[in-house]
Amino acid sequence: MTVTPPDQIESTGLSSTLPAAVEAIEGRGPWLLAWARLRRDKVAVGSSVVILGIILLALFAPWVAHLVGHGPNTQFRTTGLSPDGIPVGPGSTFLFGTDDLGRDVFIRVIYGARISLLAGAVSAGLAVAVGVIIGLAAGYFGGAVDGVLSRFMDVVLSLPYLVFAIALVSLLGPSLAISVAVIAFFSWASVGRIVRGQVLSIKEKEFVEAARSLGASHLRIMFIDILPNVLAPTIVYATMLIPLSIVFEATLSFLGIGVLPPTATWGNMLSESIAYYKVAWWFVAFPGLALLITTMAFNLLGDCVRDAFDPRGNRLFVATEE
Amino acid sequence: MSKIRRLTVSSTAVTAVGLLLTACTGGTATTNTSAGGQSGTPRSGGTLNLAGTGDIDFLDPTAAYNTDTHTAERAWTRQLFTYPASTDTKTVATAVADAASEVPTEANGGITNGGTTYTIHIRDGVQWNSSPARAVTAGDFVRSFKRLCNPVAPVGAPSYFIATIKGMGTYCKAESKIPGTAKGIADYINNNEIAGVSSPDPKTIVFQLTHATADFLDIIAEPFASAVPVEYLKYVPNSPEFKANTLSDGPYKIIKYVPDSTIVLDRNPAWVASSDPVRKAYVDKIVITEGQTPEAVQRQIQAGTTDLSWDGVVPTPDIPGLSGDPNFAVHSSGAVNYAVFNQQSPNANAAMKNVKVRQALEWAIDKSALAQALGGSKIAKPASQILTPVDTGYKPFNLYPTPGDKGDPAKAKQLLAAAGYPNGLTLKLLYPNVSQSPKIAESMQADLTAAGVKVQMVPTTQNDFVVHYISDPASSQRGLWDITLLSWVPDWFGINGRAVLQPMTDGPNYGPNSVDYGDYNSPVTNGLVAQALSLPVSQAAKVDDLWHQVSLQSMQDAAFIPLTSIDVPLYKSSRLMNPVYLPINQNYDITNVWLKTG
Repeated sequence: MTVTPPDQIESTGLSSTLPAAVEAIEGRGPWLLAWARLRRDKVAVGSSVVILGIILLALFAPWVAHLVGHGPNTQFRTTGLSPDGIPVGPGSTFLFGTDDLGRDVFIRVIYGARISLLAGAVSAGLAVAVGVIIGLAAGYFGGAVDGVLSRFMDVVLSLPYLVFAIALVSLLGPSLAISVAVIAFFSWASVGRIVRGQVLSIKEKEFVEAARSLGASHLRIMFIDILPNVLAPTIVYATMLIPLSIVFEATLSFLGIGVLPPTATWGNMLSESIAYYKVAWWFVAFPGLALLITTMAFNLLGDCVRDAFDPRGNRLFVATEE
Repeated sequence: MSKIRRLTVSSTAVTAVGLLLTACTGGTATTNTSAGGQSGTPRSGGTLNLAGTGDIDFLDPTAAYNTDTHTAERAWTRQLFTYPASTDTKTVATAVADAASEVPTEANGGITNGGTTYTIHIRDGVQWNSSPARAVTAGDFVRSFKRLCNPVAPVGAPSYFIATIKGMGTYCKAESKIPGTAKGIADYINNNEIAGVSSPDPKTIVFQLTHATADFLDIIAEPFASAVPVEYLKYVPNSPEFKANTLSDGPYKIIKYVPDSTIVLDRNPAWVASSDPVRKAYVDKIVITEGQTPEAVQRQIQAGTTDLSWDGVVPTPDIPGLSGDPNFAVHSSGAVNYAVFNQQSPNANAAMKNVKVRQALEWAIDKSALAQALGGSKIAKPASQILTPVDTGYKPFNLYPTPGDKGDPAKAKQLLAAAGYPNGLTLKLLYPNVSQSPKIAESMQADLTAAGVKVQMVPTTQNDFVVHYISDPASSQRGLWDITLLSWVPDWFGINGRAVLQPMTDGPNYGPNSVDYGDYNSPVTNGLVAQALSLPVSQAAKVDDLWHQVSLQSMQDAAFIPLTSIDVPLYKSSRLMNPVYLPINQNYDITNVWLKTG
C-alpha cells in the first residue's frame, strides 16, 4: 500500500489538514478535480479572460463598428490615407490607424478575430471528431484495420500541407470553407494517433473485458466505455490545436490562398502590411499582436488544461495555492 | 500566339496591375525627375551590382519578352537598330543604327518601292566572340527572322513580323509545325527562305514588305530580332545546351547563369568599341543577384551594397520618404492599368456583351483613389483612355468624366437600371494575387458595390491568371471571369498603334493567347485599325488621327475601363553615375552607367 505524503495531497488539491480532509472527502472524479485545479491556476484564469475578451470582441464586432462608424471594408480615402497613399497612424479617429486602402485597422482586427476563432474552433473541432473516430477504430479493432488506418494517418502527416493547400485552392478557389477543410484534414491525424495509442492500452482493461463479456456491441464499448477514458488527453490536444489552426489559417490567408478579400483576416492583413512596415508600423503591429496574443492565450490555457489533468507533470508557470 | 504587350518587370507578373512594366521606345517619353549622377568624367572599371526578385523569362533572345531580360540582354546582344541612351526624350525614343551602318531612308536609298523595300547594310567591326572572333553578317540577321517561329521558343509577338514581311506568314505557319529538335529546326531554316528577307551579300540585308508601314524600323529594333550566330542551330532554342553556349556580339558576355539565382556578365574581348555607337560599356563586370523581395532590394541600394534593381521599382511606401533624394527619380513609362470586360461571358444574362452595362460601369470607378493607392499623383494618374501621351494618336478626351475622377456610383446604378438591371447584377472580378493587383481589385470592388454590383473576387496565381484564365477562350466562354485587371506598355513609342490598340482590339483574330482578352470586336474599330496600319511613314499625321479615332471608338464601345497611367520610380546607389533612363526597358541603360570610386 502506498502512503501519500501530505505535500502531494496538497498539490492534488486536497486540504492540508488530514482530519478535516477526511471529513471533507466527497466523490469527486478526475473531471471535477481538473476543473478545481484549473480554477486555481492564475495563468489559466488569465488566458481564459483574454480568450473570452477576444471572443466578446469578435461577437460584438458589428456593434463596435456601428459605434465607431467605420465598417470593416469602408475605405476612408480622404481621412484614412495621405495623398501619396500612405496609411494614417493611430489616433482618435482611427484607434489602430488605417491600412493601405484607408480602412480602420482596429475594426478589421476585431473582424479578423471572427475568422480566426471560427477557423480555429471549427477546424480543431472537425479534426478532433475525425481523429477520435479513426483513432478509436484503429486502436480498438487492431489488425488490418489498424494497419490501414495507421498508414493512412502516416500518409496525411507526411503530406506537405502548403503544397496541398495551394493545389486545392487552384482547383476549387480560395474560401473560408476550403481553409477550414484543409486545416482539419492536416490536423486530424495527430489526434488519431494519440487516441489510437490510448485505446490500445485501455481496451485491455478489465472493465472493457467485462463489457465485452456482457455482450456489449463494438460501438457501445468504443463510445461508452473507452471514449470517456481518452477524452482528457484529447481535450488537452484540442486546446493546443486551436492556436495551431489559427496560425494555419493566418498562413493560408497570408499566402493569398485563404479567405477571400476584402474580408479581414489577420493573415491577409499581415500580408498586405509587409511593404509598409517602415512607414506604417501599426499596420503590421496590431494584426500581428492580435495573432500573437490569441495563440499565446490558447497555448497557455492548453498547458494549464494539460496540467490540470496531469498533476504530476512539471510546468514552467506553477499553479498557486488557494 | 501574339503577345504584343511587354511583360511586367517586377518579376512576377505578366500583366498584373501596378507592377513595373516594360516599354519600348517612342516619341515623347518624359522624365519627371532625374536621378543625380549624369555629370562628371566617366570612369571605366568596377562591378555593377544589380538585384531583383525574379529570373529572366528566356535566355534565348528570340523568345525573351520581359523588360528585365531586355535590360540584361542589351549587354550581350545587338540588333540592326535600337534606341539610344540619351537624356533627350525625343532621341531616346527614336530608333538609331546599331549593327546597321545607318538608318535607311528614301533619301539614302535605304527605303524604295514606295516604302515596301528596306535595304540595310551591316556595320564593320561587329563581331561574335567565337573562336576565333568573326564578323556578324547579314546572314546572322536573316537567320534571326527564320528562327522567330521555331516550335520550341518562338517570338512572343509574331504578328509584328507576319503582318509586315512578305512571306513571313507562310514561313511561320510551316515552321511552327516542324519537329522541335535541333536538327529539325536547323534543316528547316537551312532549306527554306522567307520571301521577304534576303541577303544579297554578307553585308546587306533586304526586306520586302507586304505594304508600306510607318513602324517597320521599330519592329526590327525589337530584341527578338537580335542577330543569331550559326552555332545556335546546333541547339534546341532556349535549351540547357543553348544556355551553356551563348555567343555575344555586345560589349559583355555571359560567364555564369544560374536560373533564379545569378547572372554574371564579363567583358567581351571580341567587342570593338568603335563599332558600337550606342553602348559605352564603362563597367568591367555586371552581377545580377535574383530571388529577393523589392523591399530588400531597396534597402540594399540605400545601403550601397547594390547599385540598382534590375526588375522592379521603388516600393510604393518608400516613395514619399525619398522625395528630394538625388538618387531617386520618376520616369514616364507609357504604362496604363486597365480593366477588361469579358464579352464572352454568359454571366448575368451576358451582361458584359451589353454595351449599356459596360458604359454604366465606366462611371462607377473612383480612379483618383486608385492613383492614390498606387503612390499618389507622383506615380499614378487617372486615365480616361488606353493611350498615353507617349503613344501615337493620343489626344486628351474623357467620355465618362466625373468631378476629381472620383466616379459616380449613383449614375452607374441609374444606367444599369436603364440597361435592364434595376436590381444590380453579380460579376466576377479576376485578378492575379501579386503586387498591387489585390489592392486595385479591392478598391474597385468597393466602387462597384456602391453602384449596385455584387462582386465575386477571383484571385489566382500569376501563372493560372495567364494560362488558365485570360489566355484561354474556353475560360472566358464559361464565364469564369467578367472583369479582369491588366497593365499595358507598348513595345515601342511613337508610331506604335500596332503595339497598343491593334492587339487590344483585335477581335477578328480572337483566340488562344489573344491579347484582346475580352473579345472586343467592332467592325468600325477594325476598319480604322486596318486603315492606320496600311499607311506609310509619309502620312504620319493621318496615322495619328486614325489611332485617335480607334481610341475614341473603343471608349464609346466601352471595351475596357482605363484606370491609371503609371510612371516608373527608380532608385540607384550613390556611386552609380550616368543613369540614363531607357524607356524600352523601363530601367537605366546598364551598358552606359559608370561607377564612382570612394
